[in-house]
Amino acid sequence: MTDRHGASPPHGTNGPTDVDGHEVRHEGTTLPTLPGGLHETTTSRTLWGDAWRRLRRNKLATAGLIWIALVVAMTITADLWVPPTFGDPLSVNTTPGANLQPPSLEHPFGTDKLGRDVFSRVVYGARVSLTVGLLAVSISLVIGLLMGALSGYYSGLLDAFVMRTADVFFAFPYILFAISLIAVLGPSYRNVFIAIGILGWPSIARVFRSSIFSVKENEYVDAARAMGASDMRIMFRHIMPNAIAPIIVYGTMSIGGAIITEAALSFLGMGVQPPTPSWGLMLSDAKSLMFAAPWLTIWPGFAILTTVLAFVLMGDGMRDALDVKMKD
Amino acid sequence: MFKYVVRRVFQMIPVFIGVTLILFILRAPGVLPGDPVRMITGERGMTDALRQQIIEKHGLDQPLHRQYVIYLGNLLQGDLGESYQRGRAVTEIFADKLPNTLRLALAAIVIEGIVGVTAGIISAVRQYSFLDVLVTLSTSILVSVPVFWLGMLFQIFFGIKLKEWTGGAFYLPISQMSSAQFPDWAHMILPAITLASVSTAYVARIMRSQMLEAMGQDYIRTAEAKGLTRRAVTFRHALKNALIPVVTFVGIDFGVMMGGAILTETVFSWPGVGREIFLAVGQRDWPIVMGGVVIIVFLVMIINLLVDLSYALLDPRIRYGGGPE
Amino acid sequence: MSALLEVRDLATQFTTRDGIVRAVDGVSFTLDCGETLAIVGESGSGKSVTALSIMRLIQEPQGKVVSGQVLFKGDDILKLSDSKVRAIRGDRIAMIFQDPMTSLNPVFRVGRQIGESLILHKGMSRKEAFERAVELLDMVGIPHPRDRARDYPHQFSGGMRQRAMIAMALACDPDILIADEPTTALDVTIQAQILELMIEMQERTGAAIIMITHDLGVVADMADDVMVMYAGKQVEYGKADGVFYTPRHPYTWGLLDSLPRHDIDEKGALLPITGQPPSLINVPAGCAFHPRCPYAKDVCTTGTPVLTDVGEGHLAACHFSNDPEFQRRASQHPGEVA
Repeated sequence: MTDRHGASPPHGTNGPTDVDGHEVRHEGTTLPTLPGGLHETTTSRTLWGDAWRRLRRNKLATAGLIWIALVVAMTITADLWVPPTFGDPLSVNTTPGANLQPPSLEHPFGTDKLGRDVFSRVVYGARVSLTVGLLAVSISLVIGLLMGALSGYYSGLLDAFVMRTADVFFAFPYILFAISLIAVLGPSYRNVFIAIGILGWPSIARVFRSSIFSVKENEYVDAARAMGASDMRIMFRHIMPNAIAPIIVYGTMSIGGAIITEAALSFLGMGVQPPTPSWGLMLSDAKSLMFAAPWLTIWPGFAILTTVLAFVLMGDGMRDALDVKMKD
Repeated sequence: MFKYVVRRVFQMIPVFIGVTLILFILRAPGVLPGDPVRMITGERGMTDALRQQIIEKHGLDQPLHRQYVIYLGNLLQGDLGESYQRGRAVTEIFADKLPNTLRLALAAIVIEGIVGVTAGIISAVRQYSFLDVLVTLSTSILVSVPVFWLGMLFQIFFGIKLKEWTGGAFYLPISQMSSAQFPDWAHMILPAITLASVSTAYVARIMRSQMLEAMGQDYIRTAEAKGLTRRAVTFRHALKNALIPVVTFVGIDFGVMMGGAILTETVFSWPGVGREIFLAVGQRDWPIVMGGVVIIVFLVMIINLLVDLSYALLDPRIRYGGGPE
Repeated sequence: MSALLEVRDLATQFTTRDGIVRAVDGVSFTLDCGETLAIVGESGSGKSVTALSIMRLIQEPQGKVVSGQVLFKGDDILKLSDSKVRAIRGDRIAMIFQDPMTSLNPVFRVGRQIGESLILHKGMSRKEAFERAVELLDMVGIPHPRDRARDYPHQFSGGMRQRAMIAMALACDPDILIADEPTTALDVTIQAQILELMIEMQERTGAAIIMITHDLGVVADMADDVMVMYAGKQVEYGKADGVFYTPRHPYTWGLLDSLPRHDIDEKGALLPITGQPPSLINVPAGCAFHPRCPYAKDVCTTGTPVLTDVGEGHLAACHFSNDPEFQRRASQHPGEVA
């Protein structure tokens, strides 16, 4: 969905209406209900086992998983091998000839206008991207699950209020909303993931709410209630295990979305600030040198593409493996 | 039908209030760093008299809730206020920018419609073929591409490299400046493709899955049992059903493009609505930000309403009565 | 005079992830002009696939007719070119499907859907086809046919949709009408109306009918011939009277026993057939019905029974079809033989 697809995870629709033109209810986002009611622990163990096996059979999803694992491993170990071999991502070297070097053995991705090694910056950029992605989605999850739970479980006026608030969030042009929020909070590393996190909750809340609605209809929830289980207990013992699969799928895809949004915001100067190596920021610097030093454009973008793609493929694979139906 | 439209229009009101309220809270003093009056004059020294004049002109001396009510009142009369810095009415500024955004969005919609639908149909009709795998894989890649990067790559490749390789014989203009040897619309090609890229992938995906779903329906077997050709069954019976959600998506996407094209507009220096608002955020020119968002939200809601109404035309099962949904 | 339709040794298979499904395995029958053949069996017995195979509507490549002949007026449909088969479909052989809710295209007007085959096969203009569709709707008993022809399927009730389906199938005055469980999805009262309509239409148009059903009761009044299928195979085939009154296969007994009957004084309640129909991937060895057959003996687990004549063209595939003692005892006192 256009530029601001950044944050709309590839399978969500971020408008007030769904692809079918109906109000979004995501009625499909439920797992097949567990037979036999109250024995969900044993059933879910095989469910997850089956899902894992199906996921591994999916070549594209496996490739995505491997790529993510590789990127994570690279960023964790980066301090050990990147600076000694390729140079510090922050060390400036403006002596003529040292900057804007095209890719070479010494600098596989070349150097930027301040003479910094681009490969080193791309590797460290992954840290920023993954951190922002994970933290932003965590924030969205916390807010979204809370709102979705309130809305789905208690219904009524509270539900109406939460859902109308979500409508307002959906009505806002996404990237403009993010930019306005950042303008207020001030552009910084921390504020980027906070802003993306805040903006991500309505989709999660909707997915969770509809899961709750469909689980609530089931007899075993009535049975549990009849046996005097508390709201909290019903929520965690009976509703969460059933609602968790769509949330996981949605969350995985959202990480990819958050990474693109961070890059977009940093590209616009409303995100991570220099000299922190962020892929979006590197592309922003590359813009004026697009034609003189195309390698500055190519590699950070390629890094975004592959990492986001990995999350998309994994999300797709998990959706199929967990048999979560989302509107494609 | 009429009742439905009225009801939908009334449903817009709370959303409007919510959106403007959020913006008002965001620009409230104490929330936003910096003195708005300073922003207006551009930080230079000013006399108290001038300062007072500006404050009064923009109603900044009023308490915030009062300002909000005044704003809503003006809004009802179609007055979105005046820019702090440009000395022009907000409506006037956007009257200039909106046609640019509309042109670009229309071009992008045409591209995503044609390319996305075609790719989706091919993919579905030849399920599991090489072409299907190609389409499926490229849609996954396309939804993962940062559009601004794609725009930059297009400029490097089509604008510069292609020109170098073909000795200037063939390339695409990357801005309106180079329009001497090109027709007027040529500079729109790259930004339009860039803007359309992600949506094209979505359209192809939706088209594929809808087409596959339609082709598995019982009425397809009925049509085949009548002796219709495979082609007639696919393109008459399945396509008409499968297109309904696609048309809806494209319609909604058109609305999204009204304000969501900031990145494409930035990369191609396209003077559109989104970019105007983005620049205004940087300058703390809140009347432009507020006005721009209000205009976009209004357009999006109108477009969504039209999409929903057209849905009733496409799908005979949908009838918008006045009753409950 | 040669038969209108002669099916010889038809076999259709589906390739699935779990193995090959032998959905239809060696089915043969004949149908004469104006006759009604009932194909009876539980779901999954291969009766619908038989019908689709005749129409050559099996979805390839998963499904495939692997052997046999379908001779329509002497031509083997399975060997005809695609365009020739399409010329037969909807024109000479038409089909009605089980669920009228989903078998009509929701986005086209009913009149247009009925007229579609007229435009295709009879070369009518849209206008002519519409006029004919109105007549057809009138013929199948839909009131205000001119208005209703302009309606969409969702504006029709279930029974009316099935009437529209019948009108659609009869549009080109076909020689054969294949009805695949045409009443299963309908209310009981509507079922009777639709059956009546089909009988009436047959009298009027002289079309032969292949009636596919899981419910022997449905076809008792209208069938000339009855073919009973089990696990993709024919287990009994013959004149309706023979199959109804002197059934020779334990499965047919089971089907008859599970019917509510009013003609004979019955002591016990309905006797459903126990167990599930077999998987068509791993069909039981010997007689496929033996695991559920109350009279099964050792030979039933090893030898595959062949379809044998039990008199006057009445065929049955049971090892004991021609054992008069077994037949007498078993049919009169079910449960005592085993």
